[in-house]
Parts: sequence; structure tokens; C-alpha cells
Amino acid sequence: MDILQIENVTKRYSEHTALSDVSLAVPTGSIYGLLGPNGAGKSTLIRVVNRITLPDAGRVLFQGKPITDDDIYSIGYLPEERGLYKQMKVGEQAIFFARLKGLSRREAIARLKEWFVRFGIQDWWNRKVEDLSKGMAQKVQFITTVLHEPKLLIFDEPFSGFDPINANILKQEILRLRDEGATVIFSTHNMASVEEICDHITLINKSRNILSGSTDEVRRRFGENQFEVVFDGDGIKLSQAVEPFAEVLEQSPVADSDLCQLRIRLREGVSVRESIAAANEAVGLRSFREMIPSMNDIFIRAVEGKL
Amino acid sequence: MSKIGIIVAREFNERVRKKSFIITTILMPILMLGLMAAPTLMMLFAKGEQKELILLDESGKFATELTGDEELVFSQRDCTLEEARADEDVFGVLWIGADIIDNPNNVKLYTNSSSSMSLESNLASQMERVIEQERLKRYEIENLEQIIKDVEANVTLTTYRNDLQEEGTDEEATSSSVAYLLGLVLGMMLYMFLLIYGSMVMTSVIEEKGSRVLDVLVSSVRPFDLMMGKILGVASVAVTQIAIWAVLVCGLSAAVLPALMPEDMMQTVAAVEAGTMTSAQAGMDADLLSAVSLATDPMRLVMMFVWLVLFLVGGFLFYSAMFAAVGSAVDSIQDANQLQTPITVPIILALILAMSVFNDPDSSLAFWGSVVPFTSPVVMMARIPFGIPTWEIILSLVLLYLSVAGMAWIAGKIYRVGVFMHGKKPSFKELMSWIRQ
Repeated sequence: MDILQIENVTKRYSEHTALSDVSLAVPTGSIYGLLGPNGAGKSTLIRVVNRITLPDAGRVLFQGKPITDDDIYSIGYLPEERGLYKQMKVGEQAIFFARLKGLSRREAIARLKEWFVRFGIQDWWNRKVEDLSKGMAQKVQFITTVLHEPKLLIFDEPFSGFDPINANILKQEILRLRDEGATVIFSTHNMASVEEICDHITLINKSRNILSGSTDEVRRRFGENQFEVVFDGDGIKLSQAVEPFAEVLEQSPVADSDLCQLRIRLREGVSVRESIAAANEAVGLRSFREMIPSMNDIFIRAVEGKL
Repeated sequence: MSKIGIIVAREFNERVRKKSFIITTILMPILMLGLMAAPTLMMLFAKGEQKELILLDESGKFATELTGDEELVFSQRDCTLEEARADEDVFGVLWIGADIIDNPNNVKLYTNSSSSMSLESNLASQMERVIEQERLKRYEIENLEQIIKDVEANVTLTTYRNDLQEEGTDEEATSSSVAYLLGLVLGMMLYMFLLIYGSMVMTSVIEEKGSRVLDVLVSSVRPFDLMMGKILGVASVAVTQIAIWAVLVCGLSAAVLPALMPEDMMQTVAAVEAGTMTSAQAGMDADLLSAVSLATDPMRLVMMFVWLVLFLVGGFLFYSAMFAAVGSAVDSIQDANQLQTPITVPIILALILAMSVFNDPDSSLAFWGSVVPFTSPVVMMARIPFGIPTWEIILSLVLLYLSVAGMAWIAGKIYRVGVFMHGKKPSFKELMSWIRQ
């Protein structure tokens, strides 16, 4: 079941088109990466989901039904730029945002106390936001985003401004929220974090959805059938042995060992088993591993049109 | 609580708790009282030491006629002009020629330090009086002084309004001077509130946009609700401030003023109000009586404050919607300056129109100025103290509040586009296209 379906959404502004015919589906309980270069249309897409702007064409389904104003109570949105009232005290401010999301004052205070204890920031309650560091303010903002226990969470660059320790705490919290049943949409440029926690991605470029799918499937698709063979023995012999099945790309010694490695690309219609068998005949095989490109590579290649 | 309610509550709580709000709320009435008392105080402190003037009167007519006051004292000496001028302990010497009655210019003032205008005009007017008397004496009319006394007249005008007389009540005198003063104060007050609180809304929208709070807010509140919440929140602060001032002023005038006024004056005022005596009979200045009776009558003040609040809120909603729209369209206050000109110009125009009201409160210019929403709050407030038909006030209010709705709609259109525009400052043309979107 998909918690969020976006069907053929188009949004035009007076001078440019921000989204053209974008479709995607976010499975319930997934962590969904929304990728794309600056100005690709990610923010507009998020605004459409948040009902801040309405699409010119297409529709958005939330839990299978067209999204309504009431559904935004079920959505938590953490924008990229931290938006808090600087002059306001942390506690009051958090209550204010919680009430706007439909919580009662009493309920908001109870939940906030719990979160403040979890993050170890009980002392901040009466401090003004302007006295907090950027990372501290971000923690507060994170809490206000998830406090009303939304079914769908949208995070725009959640890790920017965090030190590694706090980033890790945040990551654990995000995973915990997912485990408790929330669905998370991530908008980010940080490809390492995408590889780490996203199970699905969509790549938007120039207002279009150019790539969608589960992270593993997408990476495999970009793998181009390249394999890395680590072996003990004669490299030339190996090359000759695999020649009918694969194109040899590069041979290099493996550092700090007597072993060598060979990069090959399997020819069309060749099975991995056949290739392994052939290689095994020729040399002492240590490993035969598919080379999966990093999300970073995929991002660059996809955006630059080298699909 | 609705979302607008939550936003209004936040705006209100944040603002009334600010030190600046508390200070201005308490200090403003004191400052205004101080400003009113300033001329009196200045007169008190401006008086210098008493100045001694040696009088050398060769005509012999002035010795007994010139009188000194707190500022000036005359001393007579038997000496020559040169000797008198040599005396450096006195302020100066007034020398009057023997033929002064026929030749009024034959008078000289020698001073040891700089003289002042008030002193010179004081001397001149005293001498003119003596010379005029002397000249009149030459006609040798009997009982001259008595005749002059009989002829002298002093007119005090008491104005009654036929169109405003309520049925069954006795005639009540009105006063244009009090209306003028009140109109001036009320008009200025509206003008300042519109500008100050209006730009407060604008600044606050710009800040919210700059700090990206808006991005968070719009994900849970419709932009229009957000804008209205802010405007209503600031309006409630303005009304609170006015109400505090109203209570202070009414309380002060009702409780303190009667105690301060001389008792016989209060009795006269009461008598005039009750209709048993007219101000002419009381022999008191009608303006003063009317002012005192207004200041000590809480009901009339309360009514005035009701109109004030209605026009203040209407005018504020009308203008602050535009201020909010401009605030949403720009990134900084500097950028806002140019865009807010079309807003501030009508407010200033309203003040200028209000000034013209004082010459003729019933002119067609005054009427239209107080009915057209752009200028009506300020101009109407300046007109109300002169006593105008209630239907005009109601008409003005209805038109004002109708256009508030229209203006909020237009501003909302600009606002919902503007809050997401960062970077480039939009032109008027672009703002127009946002409205049409």
C-alpha cells in the first residue's frame, strides 16, 4: 500500500514550469529519498504535497484518497531553512507549532517533555531561540515536526548543520519513527545518507521525474554489468579465460597482498555463473563481486543525461 | 481554538509582553500631558530676573501711568541722561521726550544688555495707551472715562446646533475650539496608529519570511489565515493599548479633574449642563465651560472612544492588509520602502484632508474625505467632534469595513505568492499579476 501517490502532477509558474507530469508512489513505512539538483522542482513537489500550492494538473492521493486540508495534520514537514521565532522561548514556541498541528495544549506539553528528555535538552525550555546554536535550534525544529506523530514525515536536508554525533542521534530517531510506522520522505543532496537509509528514491531533474525505484534496484540498473574479480595467479591466463564472456577493463594489484584484481564487463546474454566457472578454471578465485555504483555516481550520471 | 485564534493569541502575547509595549503604553499619556503642559511650564521657567529700567520722562505724563510687572520695574531718578546711562547696575534707561504726545516717536530705550521683543512691545503698548488717553483729553469731553467704560464691549459667542438638538433636552452649547482640539488629537492619533501599527505588521511579515518561519507555518496554516491572524493579532494589541489609555484618561478626568477644578466652576458647569443656566449668564468663557464639561463627562468620552476604536480597527485592517502584502513580497525593509509608498501616501493625504476639515467640517471635501475608505478613518475622526449626523458615520463605517474585506482578499493573493518569493524584489506590475493569478 502506498501512503502517498503523485499522479501526473504539473505546476507552472509565470516564467517557468516547476513540475511537468511528475508521478511517483511512496510505499507506506519506507524511507523515500527525493533527489535532484538545486532548482529541479523538489521544493515545489513538497509544497504540493503539503498543500501550500495546488498543482495545475494531476492529483495527489494520500492513503489512497485525494489529499485534503485535514490531511496536513498527518504530515510533518521540516524545511531546509530552520524557521523558528528567534525572540520566542523554546517551550512556548514548540507548544505553538504543536497546537497549529491540532494538538491540545496539555497534550503538546506532555509529549514535548518526553522528547526534551529523550534529546537531553530539558534545560532549554525557557531559553530564547536566538540563544541557541544552529544545531540546537534544529533539534527543536525536529521535535516540533514529529511531535504530532504524523504518518508522513518530510525532511528537507535534515542533517545539515549537525555534528556527526548529533547527526547519528537524528538518524536513529528517524529510523525509530519509521519502525513505529511513519513513512519518511527525504529531500537531500547528501548521497551517502541516501545509500545509508533510503530504501526508495526518485530523482527529479528539470521538473521531470527521471529516475524512480528502490535503492538497490536503481543501483543495480546503473551497474552496467561490471564485476570485480580478485584472484591468486596469472592475470593473462584469467583474461584469456574470461574473454568469451566478458570484456576486460583493467587489471591492478591489490594493495598489501600478493593478490590481483581484474575489472570486467559481462557481454550481453552471458550469465554470471558461466563467467565464474570460466574464471575459476583459470586462477584461484578469491572473490567475484558485482560493482554497484554509488548514489553519487548515479546522481551525476543521471543529471548529466548519461543514462 | 481555530488556527487563526492560535496565531492571534501568539501575536498578542508576544507583543504585549514586550518591554517596549509596556513602556509606551504607560509613558504616552504622561508624555501627552507633558506636551500639553509644556507651554505653561516654559512660560514659568522662561521668566528671567526682574529688570530695572530708569525712567527719564521729560513730558511728565508717564511717571504715574507706567506700571511694572514681574518682568519689569520702573525707577525714577533725578539725573541727566548721561548719568543714567553710566549706571551699569540697571537694565537700561527709557527716555521720553517732552513732545511725546504729538510726536510718538520721540522716545529712546538705552539698554546695558540685549532687550527682548516682549519687553519692547510691552513698553510700546503701555505708552500707546497713555498717549491715546492724553490725546482724548484734549477734546475736553466730560465724563470721558465713564463714557469709554460704557462703550467698551466684549463678545463671547455661544453656538447652538439646531440639527443636533435632541428631542426633549434643553439647549446645549457647543464649542468649535474644543471640537477643533479634539478633532486634531483624534485625527493625529488615527494617523499615527495606522502608520506605526501598519508598518509593524509589515516588519513582522518580513522577519517571518526572512527567518523562514513562514515555510513552517504555511505547512500547517493557509497563507490567508496566517495573514489575517497576524493582522488581527496586531489589531488586538492596538485596541488594548487604546483601551488602556481610554481607561486612564476617562478615569483621570472623571476622578481627578473635578477635584482639581474650583468648586464654583464645577457648579456652574453642572448648572449649564442641567440647562438651568446658560454660559452667558454664568459669565464664563463658553469654550472653557464646554471643555470642562466634556472632560468631566465620562459618557461622552466613552462614546468618542467607541467611534475611535471602530475607525481605528477598520482603518488598521484596511491598511495593514496592504502592509502585509508588501511585507510578503520583499526580503528586507529597505526593499519595502519603495513598494510601501502607495500605502503611506493616502495616509498622509488623509491627514492633510483632516486639517482642511477644521476650516469647514461640513464641506463636500470633508464629507467625501470621511466616506472614501482610503482617507475616511483619519478624516472622520477629525470630523466627529464637530458633531455630524450619525448616518454619515455609519455610512463611512460600512464602506470602510466592506473595503476591508476586498483589500484583505487582494492582499491575500499577493501574500500567498509573495511569501515564497526570495531574492528579486518584485515590481508593481508583478504584484498586479499575482493578484490576477
